[in-house]
Amino acid sequence: MQTVLAPIAYGIYLVLILAGGFLAVRSPSLVRALLGLITTLFGVAGMYLLMAAPFLALMQILIYVGAVSVLIFFAIMLTRDPRGEAGREARSDGDRKRGLQAAVCGLLPAVVLGSFIWKHRIAALPLKAEVGLDKLGETLIGPYALAFELISVVLVAAMIGAVVLSFERRKSR
Amino acid sequence: MNPLTAYHMAALCLLGIGLFGLLSRRTLIGMLISVELMLNGAGLSLVAGARLTPAVDELGQLGALLVMGLAAAEATLVLAIVLVAHKRTGTSESDEMSLMRG
Repeated sequence: MQTVLAPIAYGIYLVLILAGGFLAVRSPSLVRALLGLITTLFGVAGMYLLMAAPFLALMQILIYVGAVSVLIFFAIMLTRDPRGEAGREARSDGDRKRGLQAAVCGLLPAVVLGSFIWKHRIAALPLKAEVGLDKLGETLIGPYALAFELISVVLVAAMIGAVVLSFERRKSR
Repeated sequence: MNPLTAYHMAALCLLGIGLFGLLSRRTLIGMLISVELMLNGAGLSLVAGARLTPAVDELGQLGALLVMGLAAAEATLVLAIVLVAHKRTGTSESDEMSLMRG
């Protein structure tokens, strides 16, 4: 049963990821691109579930879909062009050439890396038993304590930086 | 194709799509969206490497979690930077922004 259903689920998630990714990079409207990003995020969350990592899947939805995409939506709406519609990327004549160059530069690393992965592929183990939240928590305060503290510092620094950057200086001059 | 390679290929697709978007988008927000795609690919690859090889499971999963935290911090900062740049230059397109005006 599992050997039949897992590839089907994988295929569905892969289609979600690819379709969302395509929409995210090609759509002229940034709001639609954001919708594509959210679709991709859900696809990746599904893959985490498929790998029996439900905590990560939930975190993916909570952090990315809940927080990061809302932030991006705010950014789209706040940087509105006074002339046009919110979040629309204007077309220009250099677009075709630019797209072609981007396709070459983006696909080349992917193809090189992909051929390496294909050449040095190793046999995958059968999926290990799910890791409990208690184990994850213990690792976070054990071997990963420094990383855990550092990420808090990074988050605080990012928040302070964001506040300082967008702070309106009082017009004293 | 074994599952490990399959997951790695999916992550690689995300990397390729993200790189393509980063280079072809002209607005800063579009670039930010592409960077998020690439970071997701990195997380997926990490978790696949931790779950399907003899590597320690918790380290890979928590690594992906840290990637998510970094992505959140990065999105916050980029939002602030884009807002400030938009206020100063009146545009959010990278080409127009990089033009020097004397």
